Amino acid sequence: MSRFLKIILALNLAVLALLTFVYPHLMVSPGKLIAGHKLLETDCFACHAPLSGASATRCAACHKTADIGLLTTAGVAIAKPRTATPFHQQLISQDCMACHSDHAGVKRYHLQGNFNHALLAKASRDQCQSCHKKPKDSLHQQIDGNCLQCHTQQKWTPASFDHDKYFALDGDHNVACATCHARNDYSRYTCYGCHEHTLTNIRRKHIEEGVSKFDNCVECHRSANKHDIKGGKAEGQGERKKEHKEKD
Amino acid sequence: MKTSLWGRHVLPFILLLGLLAAATLAGDYALHRLNLVWVGRYLGIPGTLLIIASMGYSMRKRKYITSGNPKTLLKLHEFGAWLGSLMVLVHAGIHFNALLPWLATVAMAVNVVSGMVGKLLLERSRRHVQGQRDHFQLRGLSRSEVEQAVFWDAVTVDAMKQWRTVHIPIFLVFVVLALGHISSIFLFWGWV
Repeated sequence: MSRFLKIILALNLAVLALLTFVYPHLMVSPGKLIAGHKLLETDCFACHAPLSGASATRCAACHKTADIGLLTTAGVAIAKPRTATPFHQQLISQDCMACHSDHAGVKRYHLQGNFNHALLAKASRDQCQSCHKKPKDSLHQQIDGNCLQCHTQQKWTPASFDHDKYFALDGDHNVACATCHARNDYSRYTCYGCHEHTLTNIRRKHIEEGVSKFDNCVECHRSANKHDIKGGKAEGQGERKKEHKEKD
Repeated sequence: MKTSLWGRHVLPFILLLGLLAAATLAGDYALHRLNLVWVGRYLGIPGTLLIIASMGYSMRKRKYITSGNPKTLLKLHEFGAWLGSLMVLVHAGIHFNALLPWLATVAMAVNVVSGMVGKLLLERSRRHVQGQRDHFQLRGLSRSEVEQAVFWDAVTVDAMKQWRTVHIPIFLVFVVLALGHISSIFLFWGWV
């Protein structure tokens, strides 16, 4: 390679290197920053620590943990916060990059809305309604709180709760939740919430069959089918016979 | 003669280059379709390593290394650089963010085209010195010795020399731009 060519080459590359330092947002930045970070466009090290990437400590230089969700970085109260309750104060560690990213070219790869609830302190982890609105469907409008009975914190859908495991909502049992779960307390149920089942007729029918313990219906009945008794007919009969013998 | 030039040189050149472009688009499309865009983000690493590994031929030619069949190393250089470039092109995708990585990508593409021109010229040179084969055989050299002698003659004829004066600066520009991009990644990226 001739000496002249080498000099031309070196000069061009030197100009490129200079441009990289003067205009880093054009030369090396992987896309535009979010509007709030626009002023930092030419100051890469405002967020990035050399050789170790964006650093939570540098985020906290502007975003004070105690103020997140309450005050802007300029100290002005946030008029319309994204969540009803500020929750950044409840995080077990300040790892901003676990949820946030910037630069248009990087955000493309970042899983949006993938908040890991395990990052929340235990006391606030189960207070779903602090951040999430109740779904507007008829089922959820009947329920207050206790989301974890039916949903996991990893995914809202599909719901983890399988009502059929406890009682199949078939036939006449496909009714409003409150019919069986008074005051939307899903830790309890009653079978006497409708006109069909009353304590008097249930007692009579069970006594006729020789069954004296019938306070916990789903222990034996898991569907509307009166012949589908838990443990099978033989076992049920066996238990009944045993009860009869004890009485005799 | 026209048919010969077209069939022997122009068509294979266009096919190889077209295949690279088609494979890049197909790779990018497949990654997006399979929701594996993140894979493309890291393809630059194996692509670069493959290009570096393919440099074994250049080292062998300049006697920095002395072992290895030069013909095999050249084949590996051609294939490794082509495949590595494909990976880097898929890695670049059709996303325009910063200038430096794009300049590096363009320099690499020019380098690939230049490399293919070199491959074409080498083929011509090889045919040019083919006549010398008989001469060497007449001198009583073994078959492998004749192959070696003809190979080195082919890569040192004038056309190849002139091509090399263009290819090496192009390669150096690519190296410096790629190093600039890689350095900026190391400087700003959080690997852990």
